[in-house]
Amino acid sequence: MSRRPPRGEYIETDTGNKVARKATLVGTQNIMLGGKTVIQPEVMIRGDLVRSIQSSSSSSSSGTPNNTAVAIGRYCFLSRASCLRPPGRFYKGAFTYMPLRMGDHVFVGPSSVIQAASIGSHVHIGARVVVGEFAIIKDYVRVLDETVIPPNMVIPSFSIVAGQPARVIGEVPEGGHEAFELRDLYKTVGNNPQPPAS
Amino acid sequence: MAPLNPYTYIQCPCSDSASLGRPSDATSPTSADGDEEDNAFDPRAPRANFSLYPLEYLLYCEDCHQIRCPRCITEEIATYFCPSCLFEVPSSNLKSEGNRCTRSCFQCPICIGPLSVTSIEAPPSDPSLLVPDRAGTPHTTYSLICSYCSWSSTEIGIQFDKPNSIHAQLAKIRNGGASRLTAKERKERRKELSHRGGEAALAASSEAAAGQDMDLETQFANLKLFYNSQLADPNAGDNGFSSLGDLGFSSPSSLSRIMNLYTGGKLHDPRAKSKLGAMREAITADEGLLETDLDESSLITQLHQSDFLDTASSTQICSQPPNLGETYIYGAARFNSSLRPVPYLLRTKRSKRCPVCRHIISKPEAKVQTTRFRIRLVAGSYIPSITIRRLNLPGPNGPAAPAILGDLLEPLKPVHFVLTFKNPIFESLKVTLGAPAKTPGRFPSKVTVLCPQFDIDANTDVWDEALKENDRESSGRSRRRAGTESQFQVEVGKIWERGRNWVSIIVEVVPASLKLEPGRDVLKQDEDVLEIPMFVRIEWEAEGGGDDAASGTGRDKDQKEKKELAYWCVLGLGRIKQG
Repeated sequence: MSRRPPRGEYIETDTGNKVARKATLVGTQNIMLGGKTVIQPEVMIRGDLVRSIQSSSSSSSSGTPNNTAVAIGRYCFLSRASCLRPPGRFYKGAFTYMPLRMGDHVFVGPSSVIQAASIGSHVHIGARVVVGEFAIIKDYVRVLDETVIPPNMVIPSFSIVAGQPARVIGEVPEGGHEAFELRDLYKTVGNNPQPPAS
Repeated sequence: MAPLNPYTYIQCPCSDSASLGRPSDATSPTSADGDEEDNAFDPRAPRANFSLYPLEYLLYCEDCHQIRCPRCITEEIATYFCPSCLFEVPSSNLKSEGNRCTRSCFQCPICIGPLSVTSIEAPPSDPSLLVPDRAGTPHTTYSLICSYCSWSSTEIGIQFDKPNSIHAQLAKIRNGGASRLTAKERKERRKELSHRGGEAALAASSEAAAGQDMDLETQFANLKLFYNSQLADPNAGDNGFSSLGDLGFSSPSSLSRIMNLYTGGKLHDPRAKSKLGAMREAITADEGLLETDLDESSLITQLHQSDFLDTASSTQICSQPPNLGETYIYGAARFNSSLRPVPYLLRTKRSKRCPVCRHIISKPEAKVQTTRFRIRLVAGSYIPSITIRRLNLPGPNGPAAPAILGDLLEPLKPVHFVLTFKNPIFESLKVTLGAPAKTPGRFPSKVTVLCPQFDIDANTDVWDEALKENDRESSGRSRRRAGTESQFQVEVGKIWERGRNWVSIIVEVVPASLKLEPGRDVLKQDEDVLEIPMFVRIEWEAEGGGDDAASGTGRDKDQKEKKELAYWCVLGLGRIKQG
């Protein structure tokens, strides 16, 4: 018993996820993590807001309903006090939530609230950002701090958006694609973090 | 004051006309550097703003061996697409439909948020798009609603019968719900009238046109038709001033010339040239005459009664598609209540060419949904990146307070910065740095590069490093002197730290004091930012390229060829404390 390592701040899973003990994950059975994802303290993921009406195609094809509420890819980074909340709407006369999907290498800044329908890969969302319900963010998008993305907005690839409401203010340059990689950032947190590469 | 993150900007050589296209091989003599030293680059010069770019924005031409910036490359549009529905728009549609999305993608005229189609009968949060059985009933109407500011198209009296093809429906509706003729319908109506024939029908139509407020498009169509008929029949209005009239506005030849300018036809129509004689102007509404309504009293009373916030801002007016649904040319939207939904402007994917050799240096995949690039020659994979870190040395009286990046710099107190150069190429680099001893500008700070010449090892495979990790740990990283604070000192001519493909060196800076003569001068914007210009010259040995045989002196292909690249960059280190 003496050889048991001390309890760290993070729970590190077999697939490399680092989940802070102080994070609030509701409905964990409905949350899919792709691996190597960092969830910092005070993050909230609302996995309990699961789809209440099954779409006709999936219920007919497979007997077991697909209950994923939040699906997150690899190397995502959810900063402190951010919140992921599946979007909801009326569908065939009844209110239902829809799954929130997130690609790889997605950075979510501190105190941001995400209610998007889908977020692509290599997306950087700044601090205190609000992403409205059913917004779609494609790949290689940079959302600057304190942006408010209205519901149902579609943001095409290689956009830089800012403002309330969000508008496209620029394009991600060709040389800026590598800056979205979060592999190095992943290594800097956890129970035995490495110093950032200089 | 906003904290300043250290930055590195690189100067594109395109602003220097002498160096444009100059091959920078090893054969070029060092005299080029000699004259560059004489006129050190001034980052505060007004022109400098246009040539300084962060490394990510720069591309690199492999044939010219030169940096290319967004300002000097030439762009070619590969694909047009709507940023909202992400559908590709073929360029043939572009000519006929304009550069806006013709599906159902609209922006709110008030807040530019996206508009969504919502049925009016159903509860507001229920998009009837998904209720096919109810959509069939004739009484269901639809409106565009902004989910950000709750603007609705019913506010300007626009409702739709169908939830799809909103763009086509909107083109037929004027604000307030009145119908608006499309160009095709207008033509058909005219044809109908002419078929009926007779003066009576014409008179009736002109009366009707005058009565129903001729809009901008109808007026233009009428005028165009009228002038075309005048051109075809030059003798209709011949009043004897044919020789004079040829110079004036009312002659068919000058008119046809003007028309040709706008329609892009041939400049000189030989048929028109032979025809001389003046034309008359439009005199009826049917011919496009529209009396200007100079009575603006109703508009003025409306302005009196309305709030400032009710009037449209210039950005809101600018985002409106031109001449869409305006009744008069003078009736441009002044109030928020007359703004129409804005169809999304199309976006493009563009490929980029080198301005000198015309080679493509960046080419995205044509499909809208893919983010891959066929060609992407970015400067970041050819020239070393420079990162800046503030070094806090423990002073003589105990350890220094931890310096945070973005802290203000104390004037006249030496500070040390660690510059880390990272080599992206697979050859070892020889770097030579040059910086003026004093920064240009009114407040010269002293700059000393402690190690102006060093080599950086090649960017080898990541796995090699992983295998050699243990060796590196003993040899490379051992230079990190952070642990032993007693030996913690900056040495001249020594590399501070070295890694697999990176080298850190120290730059010592004595910031200038920002003392101003009282009452005479004020600090200009960002004059307290400490920026140091630095000349970077990199040399490396590349495989002898077959194409570059012209520059080589008949050496073997296997033999390594010496390459050289030199450029100015600007290091923004921080703000100097005032007072």
